[in-house]
Amino acid sequence: MKAPIAVVGLGNPLLTDEGVGIRVVEALGNRPIPAGVVILDLGAGGLCVLHEIAGRQKVIFVDCAFMGEAPGTLRRFTPEEAKSRKVQPRLSLHEGDLFQTLDLARDLGECPEEIVLFGIEPASVAPGDRLSDALLARLDHYVDCILRECSGSFTAGTDTVP
Amino acid sequence: MGKTVDIDVRHVTRIEGHGNIRVRARDGTLETVEWLVPEAPRFFEAMVRGRSWEDIQTIVSRICGICSVTHSLASIKAVEAALGVEVSEQTRKLRTLTHYGEQLESHVLHIGYLVAPDLLGQKSVVPLASTHPDVVRSVMAAHCTGNRIMEVLAGRKTHPVRLVPGGFTLLPTEAELRDLKTRIENAIEHLKVIADVVLDHLDDLPVFERETEYVATVDEPTYPFYHGLIGSTDTDELVPVEDYARVGNEYVTPRSTAKWTRWHRDSYAVGALARFNLNADHLGPLAFEAAGRMGLEKGCCNPYMNNVAQVVECFQVAEHSLEILDEVLARGLEAGKPEVKPGAGEGVGSVEAPRGILFHRYEFDDAGRCTSADICIPTNQNHASIQEDFEALVPQILEEGQDAVRQKMEMLVRAYDPCISCSTHFLKVEFV
Repeated sequence: MKAPIAVVGLGNPLLTDEGVGIRVVEALGNRPIPAGVVILDLGAGGLCVLHEIAGRQKVIFVDCAFMGEAPGTLRRFTPEEAKSRKVQPRLSLHEGDLFQTLDLARDLGECPEEIVLFGIEPASVAPGDRLSDALLARLDHYVDCILRECSGSFTAGTDTVP
Repeated sequence: MGKTVDIDVRHVTRIEGHGNIRVRARDGTLETVEWLVPEAPRFFEAMVRGRSWEDIQTIVSRICGICSVTHSLASIKAVEAALGVEVSEQTRKLRTLTHYGEQLESHVLHIGYLVAPDLLGQKSVVPLASTHPDVVRSVMAAHCTGNRIMEVLAGRKTHPVRLVPGGFTLLPTEAELRDLKTRIENAIEHLKVIADVVLDHLDDLPVFERETEYVATVDEPTYPFYHGLIGSTDTDELVPVEDYARVGNEYVTPRSTAKWTRWHRDSYAVGALARFNLNADHLGPLAFEAAGRMGLEKGCCNPYMNNVAQVVECFQVAEHSLEILDEVLARGLEAGKPEVKPGAGEGVGSVEAPRGILFHRYEFDDAGRCTSADICIPTNQNHASIQEDFEALVPQILEEGQDAVRQKMEMLVRAYDPCISCSTHFLKVEFV
C-alpha cells in the first residue's frame, strides 16, 4: 500500500544548489515524519517520477528553481500557478521537465489530486557537492516548511530571505 | 535553383555541454553542417579526487539520472581492479540483472519518448497519451519493470545505494526475485506491443547508410553488457579494458569544439547498433526473432536503425534476466561479500551503458584515496560519428528543403540519444 502523501526531492547534489531538493529530503530523514507520508529522493531520475506519484493523494516536490527571486527564497506553488520556461529541442532523453511529466501523468489519469511544488532559488549551480552558504543557512527552515505542508498548516506562498 | 537551408537548433539551458545543430546551404550548395558540442564538463573527475574508494560509487551515481547503475558499476569494477577484489559468481549475476533493469528502462523510454513521437507524427510523448494510449501504457509498464528491477536489487529506482565494491550491502529476498520474474514476463508482452509499433513504422525511418566502425564489449559466446573485452567491426583484435586509451584515442579537430575519439578511422560509433553488429550471433530466441521481424541484420550501417537495435536489446535483456533469476533462485541466495582492503593501485572498469561502452579509471594512494580519475562516456565517443553522419546525410537530402532536413537531422541525433544534459534537473519557471 502506497503512502497517500509523498515528499519528492529532485536535483543533483553535485551541482551545489541544484541538489537542494535532495539535501532537504536527506534532512527530513532526521526528523519525525507524520504517518502516511513517505520521503523520496528521486535525484535526476526524470520519468521515474511518473511511477512514484501514481496512486497517491498528494505529492510535494522540492526542487531548485530559477524564479527570479533572491537566492535562498522558497516559494510554494501549484503546477497551475506556473509555467516552464525551459526550451528543449527533444534531442535527448536526458532533458527533463517536471511540468511535462506532470502533464503526461494527468493525461494517463495517474496524477494525484493535489500537487504542490516548493521551489528554492539557487545562489549557484556550479560544480560542488555542498550547498551554498545562503541555502545551507536556511536548510532547517525549508524542512520546517515541508513538514508544515505535510500537516496542512503551511500558508504563505513566498517566503523572502531575511 | 537549389534549395537554401538555414537551420540552428539550440539547446537552451544553463549548463555547458549541450549539442546544437547548425546547417547553412545557399542555392543548393552546402556551406556549413555542424554538430556543435562544447567540451563535456570533466568536473566529476575533479570531484572524486581526494575521496575514499568507498565514496566513489555514491558520487558517480549522480552523474546521470538515466545511467546511474551503469556509472556505479563501471566505477565499482575499476575500484575492485585497483584493490584486487574478486567478487562471487552470485554478485556478477545480480549485478548483470541490475544492469539489465537500467538497459530496459532507458531503451524503452528512448523508444517511447523520443522515437515514437517521430514515428507517430507527434511533437512529444504528451499528445501520444491521448492518440495512442495503448502504446504509452506499454512503454510505461515496461519502464516500470526496469525501475522495479533496480529498486529490488540496488535499493532505489535511480542512483543506486546497495551496489558497492565487493558486492551488495543488502540482498533482495527470494520472494522479491520471484515477483520480478512475473513482472518481466508481463513486460515481454508489452515489449511486443512496442515492437509492433516500430515494425509498422519502419518505413518512416530515413533510409541512410554510412559504413563505419562499430565498437562494443565482446565476450564470446554471449551478448554482453557487464563484462568483456573491447571489440570492433574493423578488426578481430580484442583489447583488454585496461588498454581503453588505445581505443578511444582523443584528438582535436577544427571540425568540432569537442574532442573526438578514433580507433581505426576518423570516427567510430558505440551503442545498441554497435553491440548488435558485434554480438548478434549470441542473441536469445525472442531477441533474435524480433531482429528478424524488423529486418535488422548484422552489418547494418544505418544509424537510424539504432532505435530498432534498442528494441531487440529490450527482448534480449528481458529474456536473459529470466534465465539469471532461474539460476539464482535454483541455487539460493548466499549472504556475505569479500573484505576490501584499501591500498595503492590503479584500475579500469568498463560496462556497456545503454548508449554505448563506458570506461572509468581510478588511481588510489596507500590510504585508498583517489589521486586521479578518468571517465570516458559513450556520448563523447559518438560525437565524431554524428558529425560524419551529418556530412554524409545532408547533401543527400538537401533538396527536400528546410523542414525535412531539420527533422531528419534531429531524428539522427535522437537515434544516438546523446547524454548532453543529464546532470541537471532544475526548474525554470515564470508565474502566471
